[in-house]
Amino acid sequence: MRSIRKTATAVSAALVVAGLLAACSSSSDDPAAGGKTAITVVSLKPGSEQAAFDAFENQVRQFEAANPDIDVTSQEYEWTGPTFTAQLAGGTLPTVFTVPFTDGKALIERGQLADLTEHVRGFGYADKFNATVLQSGQSDDGGIFGVPTAAYGVGLHYNRTLFAQAGLDPDKPPATWDEVRTYAKQIAERTGQAGYAQMTEENTGGWMLTSLTYALGGRMQTVNGDKVEATIDNPGAREALTRLRDMRWQDNSMGSNFLYDWGTINQEFAAGRIGMIMGGSDIYESLAQQNNINPADYGLSVLPLAPGASAGLLGGGTLAAVNIKATPEQQAAGAKWIDFYYMAKYLKQDAAELDARTLAESDQPVGLPELPVFDKATLDQYNEWIKPYVNVPLDQMRFFSDGIFDQDLAGEPTARTQEMYAVLDTVVQAVLTDQGADITTLLSTADAEVQAIIDRG
Amino acid sequence: MRTWVRRGGLSTLVFLLPLLVIFGVFSWLPIVRAALMSVQQTNLVTAPEFVGLENFESVLGDPLFWTAVQNTGLFALIALVFGYPLPLVLAVLMSEVRRFRGLFSAIAYLPVVVPPVVAVLMWKFFYDARPDGVFNTILGWVGLGPYQWLQSADTALPSLVLEATWAAAGGTVIIYLAALLGVPAELYDAADVDGASIWRKIWHVTLPQLRGVLLVTLILQIIGTSQVFLEPFLFTGGGPANSTLSVLLLIYNYAFGSSLGGDYGAATALSLMLAVFLAALSAVYFWLTRSWSTS
Amino acid sequence: MSTPTSTRPVVPAGAEPVAAQPVPRRPARWLVGRAGRRSDDQPPRGIVSDAERRTPVVRVALRLTHAVVLVALVVVGLGPILWLVKASISTTQDTLRSPMALFPSGVDWANLATAWSTVHIDLHFANSMIIATGAWLVQLVVATTGGYALSVLRPRYGPILYWLVLSTLFVPAVVLLVPLYLTVLDPPLLGVSLINSFWAVWLPAGANAFNVLLTKRFFDNLPREIFEAARIDGAGPYRIFWSVLLPMSRPILGVVSVFAFIAAWKDFLWPLLVLPDPDVQPLSVRLPTLARSIELDVLLAALTISALIPMVLFLVFQRTFLRSAGLSGALKG
Repeated sequence: MRSIRKTATAVSAALVVAGLLAACSSSSDDPAAGGKTAITVVSLKPGSEQAAFDAFENQVRQFEAANPDIDVTSQEYEWTGPTFTAQLAGGTLPTVFTVPFTDGKALIERGQLADLTEHVRGFGYADKFNATVLQSGQSDDGGIFGVPTAAYGVGLHYNRTLFAQAGLDPDKPPATWDEVRTYAKQIAERTGQAGYAQMTEENTGGWMLTSLTYALGGRMQTVNGDKVEATIDNPGAREALTRLRDMRWQDNSMGSNFLYDWGTINQEFAAGRIGMIMGGSDIYESLAQQNNINPADYGLSVLPLAPGASAGLLGGGTLAAVNIKATPEQQAAGAKWIDFYYMAKYLKQDAAELDARTLAESDQPVGLPELPVFDKATLDQYNEWIKPYVNVPLDQMRFFSDGIFDQDLAGEPTARTQEMYAVLDTVVQAVLTDQGADITTLLSTADAEVQAIIDRG
Repeated sequence: MRTWVRRGGLSTLVFLLPLLVIFGVFSWLPIVRAALMSVQQTNLVTAPEFVGLENFESVLGDPLFWTAVQNTGLFALIALVFGYPLPLVLAVLMSEVRRFRGLFSAIAYLPVVVPPVVAVLMWKFFYDARPDGVFNTILGWVGLGPYQWLQSADTALPSLVLEATWAAAGGTVIIYLAALLGVPAELYDAADVDGASIWRKIWHVTLPQLRGVLLVTLILQIIGTSQVFLEPFLFTGGGPANSTLSVLLLIYNYAFGSSLGGDYGAATALSLMLAVFLAALSAVYFWLTRSWSTS
Repeated sequence: MSTPTSTRPVVPAGAEPVAAQPVPRRPARWLVGRAGRRSDDQPPRGIVSDAERRTPVVRVALRLTHAVVLVALVVVGLGPILWLVKASISTTQDTLRSPMALFPSGVDWANLATAWSTVHIDLHFANSMIIATGAWLVQLVVATTGGYALSVLRPRYGPILYWLVLSTLFVPAVVLLVPLYLTVLDPPLLGVSLINSFWAVWLPAGANAFNVLLTKRFFDNLPREIFEAARIDGAGPYRIFWSVLLPMSRPILGVVSVFAFIAAWKDFLWPLLVLPDPDVQPLSVRLPTLARSIELDVLLAALTISALIPMVLFLVFQRTFLRSAGLSGALKG
């Protein structure tokens, strides 16, 4: 009898443990705690400085004050392939998150983004977007599933201090790729730092090789109706790789690290150890928030485009999207957040001023050059509104802001983009780390591989 | 039922409950699931679809698979060259220390305690390929280098092995040391009576006595290095130009590498192939020790 | 099966018969032999005989090799760690320009404070501790209760169960990476994803057959008479477990604890997958992310803190650590 009672105690103890388990694991947010709609949104990149997070939290509070029935929690976030997949599969993506233009279509096709068409219509600017920009967030029948929040063009970022140290004029950024090469050599020889460096890891190598190829007049894919053909083995790509090889092996002007991804190259650049890099025109924000760049060092210019009609500037951007697993209330709240945090500032003066003031008060960058997600007039108007709050060295970026609208913007390749970039990473790495690498063979092998990936569908 | 309870059947079950639940959910179930998934195509969104051996075919047809197998084999081989004889020599020398042996053991074991992530991030800095890099500075003192370390397809893999050896050798030294100190003194006494020199004693007494432990560490090292992940993942991401892509990193890439959802079928198919290989190694080992203990 | 790629020792097939020898209950003192003291545990001799030791040539040669070995160990084993400590209180510029020089522009103590508070090493250190402690507890519970049931209570289905447990030793952890991840996403019966919960690391850590093997072996070698006597005195299975078995199991619990704690502290890939939320990430997962953004001097300070904590633990519990390390060899052999 005693032992049976003891057994019962033990069993109930086990049940308590199991209950504890369930209780602890279900502590994830309850969609309607206390009558409020709870949503999670992505905040800033990991490792951003505290002031940046403070500014973000201020904006959250402003939003919550305006929408008392919504409860916002934020989560730091940096889009990278592996973490995004894991979060997607694990269902741990926040209610609102961002993805690059290149992934928009595929995510929509797989039914992983919520339909925001009605919400965006409600905000009144569904038909105001730049049509090409909006496309990446639209389903085939025109529904809006991803809201383009920012567009960038690839630019040439350079370190003005290193330019000066190398005897170059910081107000004369290179205008041709030949100049890029001679400048890089001069920087490397006179300062001992890398004259020019390029990303090579986590698909950024393919992304930047594609940018360089575009600038030299090549294209990585051609679309024929439904059929996409990989055209990686093109003269532009060959020239791009040849230029990289010459800078690396003849001039030795690319420093000693050839394994860079987006984060690490920015880190090195901000620390003043690289003369020039290619990168999205919007990286200054991250250089300031994450990497503490000295503003006086920073210079931004347009990417030199080879003469000829085929040369184009690769551009892309960010879509804000809402998790398909969110409840309708959460979806509505998420759309409101997208409107509040990302979009309203472009169209409403008070929103623009509030946003700029909040950021400026925490010393966060305000007034960076952007490409229009609506039209150029809207963007100009927005820049006018925030003028009093601008705290970035706009003058050092004028070569970009002045030149960008003369360049032909070309979208990223559309078919299996990230996988193609992954294949191209290897090509760029081979050229930069192996003196004997044969560019023609590398390109034709990559071409076949990518074609196989595209055909597999 | 009553008698079962009275005999303690129920309380036995209560004691087994944690083991049954934990192993059931987190070991047995996933093993079954792995076998299932290897013949399915699934992206976790749509319903899984039976595809037979297609996953295995697509892995075998992937040029990266062969690269990964080659790299992993090479890693294991270099790891053996670096990491197998060295701890043995160290252990033999240390076993003759009579004073402060604790100090020797502690220093030898210290790198093992450093968290692997910390060790890799630290070594990544040591491998800085600038002439001002830590290793290049040191080697520069004796007129060597600068070397490319992680920045060249030729030296990246050996560099990873070097770090891995640094991090793991101490453990092997301690294992050998334990085995060495267990060698019966009578054997040495007998050898002394025969007038054997120190070298002959090492060769004819010590090493044969260590045969068992040597073989075990050999197999264990191969099993361990076939699963290398952390070093390529954190040092090089598999680069430059896939020269450090390991089998496990490829599995990870299959499952989590694409931003648009993983190829879990290919990932589990490759995992199973690796498992079969490792099981075969264990079998060889089992057979070897069996035949030795009976002879 | 422990969490994927954890560094728990693998026991291959042949270990079974050899390892059946009792786990040494006396700590292997000779491994950590105190300076200059010759205890009874110390083996009477090694390769070199006392007679040989008395010859001057051998004596000098021995001294010399030992000095060389010690210097080599210090340079290779300790050197990198000492460098890290130095770099953690140097400025970034010094570390980059002249990494081997000693503080050309002074000592920068602030790095350590910055690393600890601003980049929240404290939080991630706490997470590491929570993860390691939880994993340790789960492993102890599973191993002791399971070992007790299999070794002492011996149900009829026991051998089959034991075989099922041991067979998981032959399935490499990596095979389970994906299916285990999916299991944690949607665990049976619970209906709630364990992602971002510490349970996702704690519970799979418990499925460690090596622990069950160790404890069952140890219990097997305890004298049966004690349990019989306790039973005659009227103690039930719970009382025997709690008041008789556990107090006698301290040595093996120590060994399992060291293995469990080290494995949890070192684990990387598994927590990386199941703890995407930075607030719950342990040091090992957080550091690589931080390495991409924070300044070098602060990063090196963070690495130093993360390395020093387990090293201090090791030096304090040196005996248990080295005994476990040697034991894993004994079991493997």
